[in-house]
Amino acid sequence: MYDHRDRCAIVGIGTTDFTKASGRSVLTLATQAGAAAISDAGLAATDIDGIVRCEHDEVRHNDLVETLGTANVTYWSSVGTGGAAPCGMIGQAVGAIMSGQARTVLAFRSLNGRSGRRFGQAGRASPRSIGGNGSYDEFFIPYGLAVPGQMFAMIARRHMIEFGTTSEHLGSIALTCRQRANANPNAQMADRELSMQEYLTGRPISLPLRLFDFCLETDGACAVVVTDTERARNLPHRPALIRAVAQGTSRHPQMGLVLPTLLRESLTTQPSADVAETLYRRAGMGPEDIDVAQFYDCFTITVLLQLEDYGFCKKGEGGPFASGGALDIGGAIPINTSGGHLSEGYIHGMNHVVEGVRQIRGTSSSQVAGAETCLVTSGIPVATSAMILTA
Amino acid sequence: MPYTIDADTAGFFEAAREGHLVVRSCSDCGANLHPPRQYCRHCGGWNTRWRKLTGRATLVTWTIVEQQMLPTFEVPYTVVLVEPDDAPGVRFVGSLPGRVESLQAGMAMAVTFETVGDGVVLPQWSPTE
Ligand SMILES: [Zn+2]
Repeated sequence: MYDHRDRCAIVGIGTTDFTKASGRSVLTLATQAGAAAISDAGLAATDIDGIVRCEHDEVRHNDLVETLGTANVTYWSSVGTGGAAPCGMIGQAVGAIMSGQARTVLAFRSLNGRSGRRFGQAGRASPRSIGGNGSYDEFFIPYGLAVPGQMFAMIARRHMIEFGTTSEHLGSIALTCRQRANANPNAQMADRELSMQEYLTGRPISLPLRLFDFCLETDGACAVVVTDTERARNLPHRPALIRAVAQGTSRHPQMGLVLPTLLRESLTTQPSADVAETLYRRAGMGPEDIDVAQFYDCFTITVLLQLEDYGFCKKGEGGPFASGGALDIGGAIPINTSGGHLSEGYIHGMNHVVEGVRQIRGTSSSQVAGAETCLVTSGIPVATSAMILTA
Repeated sequence: MPYTIDADTAGFFEAAREGHLVVRSCSDCGANLHPPRQYCRHCGGWNTRWRKLTGRATLVTWTIVEQQMLPTFEVPYTVVLVEPDDAPGVRFVGSLPGRVESLQAGMAMAVTFETVGDGVVLPQWSPTE
């Protein structure tokens, strides 16, 4: 087996502004973020010979070859499922580089998530014939269960049933992300503070989840450049070494896109538990070695489940752990230091990758002093991916 | 209206139309396979069929939906997830009108059959008391 440990690194990062209405095409946003990442890496577009995209992106690899003016791209791929993709996309880049199919790979995510195609909306299904053809929506949507927020509400309720988790526990995650966003000028919620009282009285959406348990909707893009570590050493920034990366479906993931995951026997252990095991083994590390983490946070409950699955606390203790100060800068495991999806913006997990690199470089707006290892995770519940970056 | 002519799942809705709750099961090893599929991963066989259930279940979790996402579903309503007593590990979804505040995890639930039009019938779930 080939060992990819520390063989590749992220050498360039780029983002657009994060807004509710970009006024630009997703291709313009992707081009902006891509050009910024290439420039940040100290490279030229003609150095890029590989491109990895999320399968949900509306921008294709050849679109960016054309707009950026890259080299002849000899490797491209599309990774899913949705928000589970970003760390897996970095894994694809590593695989391409280590197998000699590309030397310098651009990975990107671009979306007009507020002004264009909004996620978490139920409007796509035709009311005359819901489901079928491998979607399994016929077992959910006719019952009014149509979107991830409703599904995660049922998962949150189950965590409360099994472990006594409270809304205040979930609220501490929302407040943590908001405080980090308040220090990040590019965050959509940079200027909006959030109190526990506001959180607890937030508009009910799908109880027990309320408004501030839900992530933002964002127009924007993020991109990163990955290359081999040897080349990375000669570029301007301290490389964020990819210590290890892992994807995982879990053994019985259920079929379909998202909603059938609700039919699993356990709702409170997610594929993140399987990915954690693979990732730590590949890295030769454990949760005690992680200085800071960027957890995929489409909902507050998503973070709580991952705190347990990645081993930062015991199963069931995520609530008291989160509300006990562990997630703060200076706590046991500071999280989502740019504000995450809950408060920076929703770039479908790719802003978590960018912020992970900033922590390794020492340039975050909420820098964890001396951070040398950063865990970055991607979305649950369908399948997931994660990686550990090191200085 | 659910799509009820899918090659793998149609039998579930055909049974509901006749007033039966069914789960796809393996005739050889007895494993339950839901959502329905043809192959049994447990014993590696293709000898699967529809098995009738009693319609008794326990409540696993629920959500009270307050923000309308579907034009045909007036909020508030309550979505429930149940586990049939005679098919452990299988989960079915149901929905109840309004905010059902009396729900408790593990409480007994029973199936009912709701005709939603055009001869399409959905199994539904309500507390037994
Ligand atoms: Zn079998």
